[in-house]
Amino acid sequence: MENQFLSLFEVSIAFEESHLFFPRIVSWVLVGLLAIILLSKSKKVAPALRRAGQAVMHGSDGFDRKRFFGTILLIVIYFYMMAVVGDVFPNTGYGFLFVSIPFIFLLALLYVDEKTKKNVLVIALTSVVAPALAWYVLSELFRITLP
Amino acid sequence: MEFLSYLSPMFFTLIAAGALIGVIFGAIPGMTATMAVAVCLPLTYALDLTNGLALLLGLYVGGISGGMVPAVLLNIPGTPSSITTTFDGYPMAKKGEGERALKISIVASLFGGLFSAGVLFYFAPVLADFAIKFSYVEKFLIIFLALTVIASLTKNMLMGIFSGVLGVWLSLIGTYEITDGGNGETRLMFDFMEYYLVAGFSLLPVLIGIFGITTILQDAEKGFKGDAASPTIKLTKGSRFSFSVFKGQLVNLVRSSSIGTFVGMLPGVGGSAASVLAYTQEKNFSRDSSQMGNGAPQGLVASESSNNALTGGALVPLLSLGIPGDSTTAILIGAFTLQGIQVGPLFIGDNLDTWYIMIAALVIANFLMFGIMFFAIKYIAKVIEVPKHLLYPIIVMMCVVGAYAINYGIMFDVWTLLIFGVFGYIATKVGLELVPLIIGFILGSSAEVYFVKSLESYGNLTIFFTKSPIAVFLWCLIVLSLAFSIFLKVRARKKESFASYS
Repeated sequence: MENQFLSLFEVSIAFEESHLFFPRIVSWVLVGLLAIILLSKSKKVAPALRRAGQAVMHGSDGFDRKRFFGTILLIVIYFYMMAVVGDVFPNTGYGFLFVSIPFIFLLALLYVDEKTKKNVLVIALTSVVAPALAWYVLSELFRITLP
Repeated sequence: MEFLSYLSPMFFTLIAAGALIGVIFGAIPGMTATMAVAVCLPLTYALDLTNGLALLLGLYVGGISGGMVPAVLLNIPGTPSSITTTFDGYPMAKKGEGERALKISIVASLFGGLFSAGVLFYFAPVLADFAIKFSYVEKFLIIFLALTVIASLTKNMLMGIFSGVLGVWLSLIGTYEITDGGNGETRLMFDFMEYYLVAGFSLLPVLIGIFGITTILQDAEKGFKGDAASPTIKLTKGSRFSFSVFKGQLVNLVRSSSIGTFVGMLPGVGGSAASVLAYTQEKNFSRDSSQMGNGAPQGLVASESSNNALTGGALVPLLSLGIPGDSTTAILIGAFTLQGIQVGPLFIGDNLDTWYIMIAALVIANFLMFGIMFFAIKYIAKVIEVPKHLLYPIIVMMCVVGAYAINYGIMFDVWTLLIFGVFGYIATKVGLELVPLIIGFILGSSAEVYFVKSLESYGNLTIFFTKSPIAVFLWCLIVLSLAFSIFLKVRARKKESFASYS
């Protein structure tokens, strides 16, 4: 009787399939939990999606579209260009240095509230000094790999 | 005492630098100790183990402490764990006692930090000795327990569990490593992703993305309105600070530090829980709590000693079991791995020198934090005026360095930053909890190895219940933590319905 009961829980894992054993369990648990969450909140999902859509499309709820999407766009260009310029000057960290300067300048300009002369000057100064300092300390002094 | 020879002037300088940078990060609202560690990570790549530890622990202690500055001066907690510091700190600052409030907080922080370092020193080896006897079955259950505790203490238990499981799922992407006894096959991806994801997502880029880029996106969405708040209050007008404030506060100090240390040990519970708990305990148990909330030093003492006691507490499970206690220690585990430290039950016994260096660095970091803040608080208070539009672009830049250099120059690790930055942003929007997710991510691949190996050797699921008395005990703890969380939820709901009747 007891043996029969124990055999219910017997598991054997074939070695060539062993990489899928645990991920399968986790995936099913994840799907199950997702189903429970969606069912328990079924009434709230549609309005929430609509509100999010409104915010993204029209900037309602104080959603700052310019700064949010601007940030993502600048980061994408930053990462992409860094690799491109880095390939031109391999193993120097110049890709990092030369692309970080305009990136910091533009991102800070995007974020700043009032574009007064003084603010822009400070931003320009920061965007040159910060990457140059980081590049010098990390790449030249510490010999850390930079793009 | 051989480890004393490692303590060079460089060691002290790095701790001081770490503590100062940490304090600055902590002092800027929205930036945390976790971010400080993430941003300074590239600096540790070039340092050796001892000096790397010095910088990291300095940052950790400083970052947790810095949160008190805006809490007192602006009524905004600089880090989540200083939320209760605002209750009494800001009223004091309004009366012109800002400097006094800050100095009380600094002394309380020092006490909390040292107390928890002591607990760490005596308790972690005991726990590690105990954990050495664990087989794969118990190791799996420990991870299971950690994830259960984290998930059950989140605001919404279902979402917490989901987040934890999602973290585990994400960690399984990649190869089932042959070095862990796997078969070297990849899973959970399409063929075209194999080139990038053979080794899965790297831990540190994922963490830096979630804690660095996500925060920036969240602030970008709000549009930086009212950037750089400037305090309008005078630091010193009312009564001055003196150590006599601490007369009769010993019970409060010890109680709050113990609460902080204990909460720190629970994985993923977070600092705000510790300080709120310590604050309410002081309110319930002290002889005179009538002034709490209007600027009573005892409230500051409770809040700040408990949140600094988190540091030592969170390092206990990290060093003895390899399980991070909060988001900052989650990054520390990655940084330690880079330095060649494998944290877990064997760590302390095998690396006694490193262990002593760590404790020394932690204690020294607390003293240096105290020194820096106590004497330079007036200048540090100015930091909160630095505008974020200058800081954030620099942080993105430093995140890139941290991610790129981690595997000696892999561009995909940089893209991982953005992927997980956006993912973290969306995750918080839909109500997922980031801390369980991260801890699931860190522990997921070990959980797999322990689980599959246990079943491969015993061939029966019942082994998880019958292996040893420890296994049974761990199951009891798992059930207990679930029951406790359900009890809390039910009680909260009852209170709510009472409130709506009356």
